[in-house]
Amino acid sequence: MSHELLKVENLQVGVEDKVILDKLNLTIRSGETHVLMGPNGAGKSTLGNAIMGHPQYNICQGSIVFDGDDITNESTDVRAKKGIFLSFQNPEEVPGIALGNFLRVSREAVTGEAPRILKFQKEMRGLMDSLEIDQEYASRYLNVGFSGGEKKKSEILQMLMLNPKLAILDETDSGLDVDAVKVVSKGIRQFRSDKNSLLIITHNAKILEGLKVDYVHVLVNGTIVHTGGSSLIQEINEKGFQFFEAGGVRN
Amino acid sequence: MNITLNQVNLLPVRTWKWLGVNGTAVEEEIPGEFAAWEPQALNLPQGIKQNTAAFDGAEQIETGMGKDAEQFVLQNQNAGIHLTAEGSAEEPITAEYVLDATCPALADYNTIYAKENSSVTLVLSYRSQGGASVFHTSLTKIVAERGAHVRLVQVQLLGDSAFHFDDVGVIEKENAVVEVVHVELGARKVFSGCKARLEERRSRFEAETIYLGDKSRSIDMNYVAQHIGKETESEIHANGALLDESQKIYRGTIDFLRGAAYSVGHESEYTLLFSPRVRNRTAPLILCGEENVEGQHAASIGKIDPGKLFYLMSRGLSEPQAKQIVIEAQFTPALEKIPAEALREAVRDWLKERMSNA
Amino acid sequence: MKAFEEEKTRVDDIDRTIYDVKDKVDAAFTVDSGLTPEIVNQISVEKKDPEWMRLFRQKSLRTYNEMPLPGWGPSLDGLDMDHIVTYVRPKTGMSSKWEQVPKDIKNTFERLGIPQAERLSLAGVGAQYDSEVVYHNVRAEVEAQGVVYTDMESALHGPYAEMIRKHFMKLVPPSDHKFAALHGAVWSGGSFVYVPEGVKLTIPLQSYFRLNAPGAGQFEHTLIIVEKNAYLHFIEGCSAPRYNVANLHAGCVELFVGENARLRYSTIENWSKNMYNLNTKRALVEKGGAIEWVSGSFGSNTSCLYPMSVLKGEGARTEFTGITFAGKGQTLDNGSKVIHAAPNTSSRISTKSISKDGGTCIYRSSVVITPEAAHSKSSVSCESLMLDSESRSDTIPVMDIQNDESDVGHEAKIGRISDTAIFYLMTRGLSEDDARSIIVSGFAEPIAKELPMEYAVEMNNLIKLEMSGSIG
Repeated sequence: MSHELLKVENLQVGVEDKVILDKLNLTIRSGETHVLMGPNGAGKSTLGNAIMGHPQYNICQGSIVFDGDDITNESTDVRAKKGIFLSFQNPEEVPGIALGNFLRVSREAVTGEAPRILKFQKEMRGLMDSLEIDQEYASRYLNVGFSGGEKKKSEILQMLMLNPKLAILDETDSGLDVDAVKVVSKGIRQFRSDKNSLLIITHNAKILEGLKVDYVHVLVNGTIVHTGGSSLIQEINEKGFQFFEAGGVRN
Repeated sequence: MNITLNQVNLLPVRTWKWLGVNGTAVEEEIPGEFAAWEPQALNLPQGIKQNTAAFDGAEQIETGMGKDAEQFVLQNQNAGIHLTAEGSAEEPITAEYVLDATCPALADYNTIYAKENSSVTLVLSYRSQGGASVFHTSLTKIVAERGAHVRLVQVQLLGDSAFHFDDVGVIEKENAVVEVVHVELGARKVFSGCKARLEERRSRFEAETIYLGDKSRSIDMNYVAQHIGKETESEIHANGALLDESQKIYRGTIDFLRGAAYSVGHESEYTLLFSPRVRNRTAPLILCGEENVEGQHAASIGKIDPGKLFYLMSRGLSEPQAKQIVIEAQFTPALEKIPAEALREAVRDWLKERMSNA
Repeated sequence: MKAFEEEKTRVDDIDRTIYDVKDKVDAAFTVDSGLTPEIVNQISVEKKDPEWMRLFRQKSLRTYNEMPLPGWGPSLDGLDMDHIVTYVRPKTGMSSKWEQVPKDIKNTFERLGIPQAERLSLAGVGAQYDSEVVYHNVRAEVEAQGVVYTDMESALHGPYAEMIRKHFMKLVPPSDHKFAALHGAVWSGGSFVYVPEGVKLTIPLQSYFRLNAPGAGQFEHTLIIVEKNAYLHFIEGCSAPRYNVANLHAGCVELFVGENARLRYSTIENWSKNMYNLNTKRALVEKGGAIEWVSGSFGSNTSCLYPMSVLKGEGARTEFTGITFAGKGQTLDNGSKVIHAAPNTSSRISTKSISKDGGTCIYRSSVVITPEAAHSKSSVSCESLMLDSESRSDTIPVMDIQNDESDVGHEAKIGRISDTAIFYLMTRGLSEDDARSIIVSGFAEPIAKELPMEYAVEMNNLIKLEMSGSIG
């Protein structure tokens, strides 16, 4: 039986003195795949950052409950340890730490125990191969000098290695060529299971190919204006967001 | 009559004396009297007023070259433009000074007081006629109030026997922008300096300096941006070329005072060297007493990139043509900031002529 | 998380408790506090100086008395030369067996892990306690290759006396600056290393300096000659317990690198926080030779240290890699000087600094390319990290280029740890402290990996910053 994994209630989020999200509600059950769509500036990335606890985003009202615990005021690492993962649009470059070692350190941070080296190496190598990441990247500094595509693949690799309960993928497809999108969506399919949930923020239906989408949400002006099934993707592609902005469809 | 200045262009923090960059002494003969200069009729746009004297408090503003240079101009001033900007003026105000054997000595003291949200551009150019040795010093003080935008462009195309300095001091309030463009292409001895105090948040200072050292010219510069307010920005850039036996000292300092959080300062210096007898000294300082800042400096000093030269020549350009293109590209950011087409052309011609020896 | 915990980088003060153990001051001989010709002469008598050295000391003293203090750099107001005991010698002669070193002195070194370090991987250890070298040992196989590693006093009287006379303070003349003159007058102790032509030492030599007596100055002299085609890695480590009286270190290092020879000179400096570290280091590099400086600077109240490379021969090169960590009350003014004096020479300076808790890091450098040094290359890169707004970080580089056939590039960056970088790491489960640590160690990593940490067991104690590369 699936249970409520994430419950966002009446959320209001501001940056500096500007309100970006307001009266936002979202529930994701375990095993579900949700897609969040919306025009630029609607607040899609803000939602991802707020769920992950970015310090610049202030939660003025509402609550975020994850796996039964109120995490509204928890620090980012605690959220990560509880099983939330956010893939970044522009992953940070961190010189001095090799990707492979970083994966080991973060796996240990999230699971609370040191991974067995050989088993870990094998797992990592296997995943790198399936994501078409050159093995040499394991010893390169985290994201430093990675191309746009390599950075996104590195995010998917981290997601698969950390195996979170909920993965939020923020525009993981942006700036990728067709082949890279294929690899990334393959990684996402590999991740998907009855126990894991996904929140995919995207413009692009391509990345969703072969993926069973349970819900599609349309975010406009800081709030979810419409929720529907996977057929909504097609509808948005045809009609654009203006249709929803104008309130053409009611929940 | 002589000019004797103990120290000009002081490096804000001293370093090893033997490098000779801590400051420079000036000892020079002045070829004539500072006779009263014929006042020029200015093309004043609407919103800009001309005054007979400096605004109150102008004397307290510190300059890039320092007290000695400043005092010299104040004591010997024989010309000057004092402006108050009240509105927004698109058209630049231009003044041209031509020095020659009959008027060989000029000390112009200029002030710009830009009120809230006003904007003003002042373009000063200095040239000389005939081969007589001439002597020019200038001092300009600028206060930019909230949201004001001030541009000062000084173009120096004096003859090879001239002595010259341009000294500037700037104070900026909230959201103000001040741009100082120094085009230092002539004279035998050249000094220039500017110190900007970014006193309030979100003020911005840009300095763009180009210089050309040929023959035995010596060029001595000192640019300082002091970040005091939060979220202030500075961009200090110098580009130049050294030929023949010319010498140059460039000092550029970004100084982040404690409290200047979220400020950003960038400094760059690119010098092309064209003769084995040149001497280039560069002292780019970043002083930092605040954690939340970003300061950066980059310098590159050397010959023209042979790869670039080869690329251009493979497209049929002669070596001098190719060189000229590279140099012009280097000077372009500053040239584009000269808001008078005729003057820009005069500068281009000057460069073309001088660089043909490179 | 456990393994990471153990090795994690703390952006904390370096734990110095084990270095702050003070030994009872029990010196055999102490000169008066002030500095007069008589005192300097007394040093000569005590050390049985040859006549030329006696005269050299007196001449240096005159230079010292005539010279003003430097007109730049950090304040030296905390120093009162009139009250610094310049010469303290512990009650022991030279020993080549560790067992024969007096117990209290031995204890200090044991606590710092010096003999262990030697047993582990060092070719030789010279430990200097206050002003005298008390322990010196070079592995037999190293000696068999003709390598000389001994204390300066012995060298001055032994078969290498003439070589010492020929090189002593020729590279750093006493007239160089006031503290070089002081050094010339009162120097004592230090190491002499000679590596004959073609000998490539595969294991490094290490010396260890330690100041114990309050208010004592240490003026050791290190002279290293690496002949043609030879190679040496020399490691110098410094530490001192904490005292209230200002301590002064005005040592002098002179390195002569022969044709196509290579010398790597690594320093881990962790003087106590009342130390004025005014050391002068200089290398002269012949044709095709190379000097590589690796420098970690963590201790001292005030440090002025700018190892200089004089690239005298065609194609000579230098690399300087340095890291400075200034905490509370520290002003560490470090950097490097290079003189390109021959064609095709090259230099690379790469430094990082971290300022914390009101500490001040200053990067100061000079790169001079003389008219003779055509086709030379120099690149300088310095990065500074500020961990809070009580601290300071200044960058003061100067370049002087006197020909047009050379290429000089310079980059300086100053900044803080970015919030988004911390957030990014925290989204992967790291705590904020761990995220900061990982970024700081990542920042220091390119320099840290150059430090000869494997060799000095002590390093892990000196720096709680974990830079061992376990996460790099």
